[in-house]
Amino acid sequence: MEEENQTLGIGTDEWVAQHGARITRRDGIAGIVDLLNQRISMPYRYALLGIAAVAFGFFVHDLYLIRIASNLGIFLMLTLGLNIVMGFAGLLDLGFVAFYGFGAYAYALTSSTQLNQHWPTWVSLPAIILATAFLGYLVSLPSRRLFGDYFAIVTLFFGQVFIQLVLSSDSITLPGDTDSTDITGGSNGIPGLYPFSFFGRSFKSTSDYYWLLLIVVAGLLIAITRIDRTRVGRAWRTVREDPLASISMGMNINNLKTLAFVVGAGIAGFAGAIFAGVQGAVFINGFDIPLLTLVYAAVILGGSGSIPGAIMGASIMSVLPEVLRVQNYSEFLFLAVLIITLRALSKNWKRFVINVLSIVAIGFVMKALLALLNTSLTPSTTWAIAPVSKVLKFWLVLPEHRIAWGNIAFVLLIAGIAYFSIAGEAIKLILLPVIAYVAIFLWEDRLVADPNVTRQLMVGMMLIVLMIIRPQGFLGKTRVEVL
Amino acid sequence: MAYFAQQLVNGLTLGGVYALIALGYTLVYGVLQILNFAHGDVYMIGAFIGYFVELALGGPTHSWVPVPIMIFIMFAVSMIGTGLLGMVIERFAYRPLRKSTRIAPLISALGVSILLQNAALLLFSANIRTYDTSSFIPSTLGFSIGSVTIDSVRLFVLILAIVLMFALSRWVNKTQVGRAMRAIAVDRDAAVMMGIDIDRVIRWTFFVSAALAGAAGVMNGLMLRGVSNGMGFVPGLKGFTGAVIGGIGSIPGAMMGGLLLGVVEALTQGYLSTNFSDFYTFVLLIAVMLIRPNGLFGKKAIVKA
Amino acid sequence: MLEIKNLSIEFGELKPLSQLDLSVNNQEIVSVIGPNGAGKTTLFNVITGIYTPTSGEVLLDGKNIAGEAPFKVNRLGVARTFQNVRLFLNMSVIENVMASYYPRTRSGVFSSALGLPASRREERQIRANAEELLSFFGTRLAGYRWEQPAYSLSYANRRRLEIARALATEPKVLLLDEPAAGMNPKETHEISEVIGQLRDEKKLTILVIEHDMHVVEGISDRVVALDHGVKIAEGSFDSVATHPDVIEAYLGKGSADRK
Repeated sequence: MEEENQTLGIGTDEWVAQHGARITRRDGIAGIVDLLNQRISMPYRYALLGIAAVAFGFFVHDLYLIRIASNLGIFLMLTLGLNIVMGFAGLLDLGFVAFYGFGAYAYALTSSTQLNQHWPTWVSLPAIILATAFLGYLVSLPSRRLFGDYFAIVTLFFGQVFIQLVLSSDSITLPGDTDSTDITGGSNGIPGLYPFSFFGRSFKSTSDYYWLLLIVVAGLLIAITRIDRTRVGRAWRTVREDPLASISMGMNINNLKTLAFVVGAGIAGFAGAIFAGVQGAVFINGFDIPLLTLVYAAVILGGSGSIPGAIMGASIMSVLPEVLRVQNYSEFLFLAVLIITLRALSKNWKRFVINVLSIVAIGFVMKALLALLNTSLTPSTTWAIAPVSKVLKFWLVLPEHRIAWGNIAFVLLIAGIAYFSIAGEAIKLILLPVIAYVAIFLWEDRLVADPNVTRQLMVGMMLIVLMIIRPQGFLGKTRVEVL
Repeated sequence: MAYFAQQLVNGLTLGGVYALIALGYTLVYGVLQILNFAHGDVYMIGAFIGYFVELALGGPTHSWVPVPIMIFIMFAVSMIGTGLLGMVIERFAYRPLRKSTRIAPLISALGVSILLQNAALLLFSANIRTYDTSSFIPSTLGFSIGSVTIDSVRLFVLILAIVLMFALSRWVNKTQVGRAMRAIAVDRDAAVMMGIDIDRVIRWTFFVSAALAGAAGVMNGLMLRGVSNGMGFVPGLKGFTGAVIGGIGSIPGAMMGGLLLGVVEALTQGYLSTNFSDFYTFVLLIAVMLIRPNGLFGKKAIVKA
Repeated sequence: MLEIKNLSIEFGELKPLSQLDLSVNNQEIVSVIGPNGAGKTTLFNVITGIYTPTSGEVLLDGKNIAGEAPFKVNRLGVARTFQNVRLFLNMSVIENVMASYYPRTRSGVFSSALGLPASRREERQIRANAEELLSFFGTRLAGYRWEQPAYSLSYANRRRLEIARALATEPKVLLLDEPAAGMNPKETHEISEVIGQLRDEKKLTILVIEHDMHVVEGISDRVVALDHGVKIAEGSFDSVATHPDVIEAYLGKGSADRK
């Protein structure tokens, strides 16, 4: 050890710079994760993912699962596209899903009885991609002069304009006609789309789309990773970092912004077309702010600008609602999240056990209290996991006026979490088990029956908490910003 | 001509409500440079508070206080309630992010918005409530000049909006907190060094901003619109539009922008088509942004190299 | 090489520059000095196209570039550093330099995405060029430093990196805005040598804004003094340093007499 120090010279730049290599492994699970991180490099990880995806395609036949996987693929395309616009070039495009909707509607109009068009897929897909890219070009033109917030605002409005246009185009009187034509089906959408077909063979089931998505997503990942590592990717990042310095170093930032926009739009349009194929129909209300929120959440969760982050974020945001929908899975998920969070917030295993025991104790206390108050008790709903269910029936009781109590619990939970964030250490110790109990209570009482609301609440809460504790997302790099 | 005047009057009333929402956006943007996406949902909560207060006071038909008092209490409780909500949001969702990147508060705001909307859904269910104003204020009660009529509710809303805007101007220009707020908007670091307690001032700014939204919510409820958990989105967007048209960060701009937007909306609905009116509104906004990217009253940012 | 004729810029009542004449000959090092607020950085901003002058011309090799977009000005051969160092902080050291090769290179989105041979070749070339450029600063920005994020660099290294980055755009004229600011005497000495090397080895024409008179004395072929947007003196360092107007500008009225 001594010799090593002498040759390197403690305190000199090089020694300091290489300190990363000398960090000792962290304990426990974190240590294993670190080890895996070091040993398995990116190409291998991607390869593993690829193999898993292919295996999935061959061995899984449950249509429901294939559908979820396909939706994940589409959502991943969207996430990657937004990752380019926002993550690479730093443009806050709040109208992004409009391109997605445009692609979907474009497919609908070229492959259905709405306008009596039936374009061969090998023609319509490239045409749609180009058309959406061109639309992206048009939208970016007025926005070129604007920066930051103003840019975001204008794109938001373009998104809304698109929706309004589609909604109102179910009775347009074209010049020369006397009657009105229904172009977009308005709020009813366009059903009955023809499936994709290549080389004379039509896609017969979602499986076919899954394979297509596999190829497309793989191709996109390779392409985008390459772009990120080369000239254009770097240039985009300089636009995000410091536009003034970027333009002074000879980069035409307006053109670069447009380029990012166009590429993002093209990808979104592609995704939209595939989505239309999978669904077999298009409805405008799937292309509004709620979806935009999910895509943004996915990009940010994973780490804006990080491609693996986009994969991770998309997976979570896309699969989460599905999991929440099925009671078995959702219970599992809830339990898992609860335990993980509890462990993360407890300093060590001993603390963790104390917390768990406290929660159990509180449960019994509440049971006694509710009995005292004479509110008639209903045993809690059954969990699919039988032993858990039995224990729960005994431990957790739900009062008669479930809705009212649930509301109180909800308000208490939010207030508790908020207070927890600023509380001192001592109070945190007491508060944590209480909050956990309230969460369990609320879950059983209301949330488990209402997956949509639950999902949204979790997304909302997650966004806030994420920004506070880890704004760069899970796989993003810490950023330094000069304000 | 009379038709035009009628639409104009309707538009001004609508614009008054938008202006209040716009002011909320602009105040917050001025001090923190963040776009408070949750603002529209605070407006929604304000509408709900007004509804519950109305119920608590005996509902639309059997209120045990005289109608004017009931309305006053509805406004007062709603404004205070939303003001407090605004302060809470700032404390927990924005304050921890003051030293973070520029995008972090925006995302957090998005999270707050989602949280508020779904909390309302959870707590109040998806049923659409209504103030049922016509039960305690006959809709025939009103004024007319020539063939232009304005019913008493609308007139009241318009006057109240003007009063609130006037009060806000006085607050911003004449009180110490208001002046401190303007100082922070111009140069936060200098304000800190001048001894201004920015935490306190920002808290008050959020209170005022949210209270205005709450008032707008009650106004909306009074004008016979439904109250539901998703009602904040479109008015929030429009209030936001108004703030941007007027120049985000500028208080007179927000007032003008909101009023302008209301008038444009009424006119397009009256003359062009009801379906497309939102479309035209947004196209108008894009046009304004292109001609004057900083809005009507916005100041051009000086880039220091 | 660079000639500024009768340049004026006004922002309403404010006149940062008034009827300025300045010229820099090929491979000359000219220093611009003056008290704060004299308009020196504004001058740089006008030359590089960030501001458009109200009147006057900026001639690069005889061609007027006044009012052109900054990226165009750069492609025509003018590069600069910034007074308060504007690096691409979250990008690595070598990426900062590699990015600046953008205007001189060509691979587009498609050729990069497809991994075409021409694109790969160009990428290797960019990397090699960047490494060579950074080695100009010796061990300071060498080897292990390349992959580190720019925000981890010390202040002096940041200034050096900014110069390297500017050099990557392959300019003919280099504008350095207070290159020695915040440096200790040893670093200052080093930077003066570097500036000299830039002129000799890289054949650059250099315009420097500086406050540190040691540096100005050491590197300048000519010195120009500005005050309130107007040129008040020009010539060799000694003649400008002892010029009564210059002394008055720095030390106030009456100082010239006292000296």
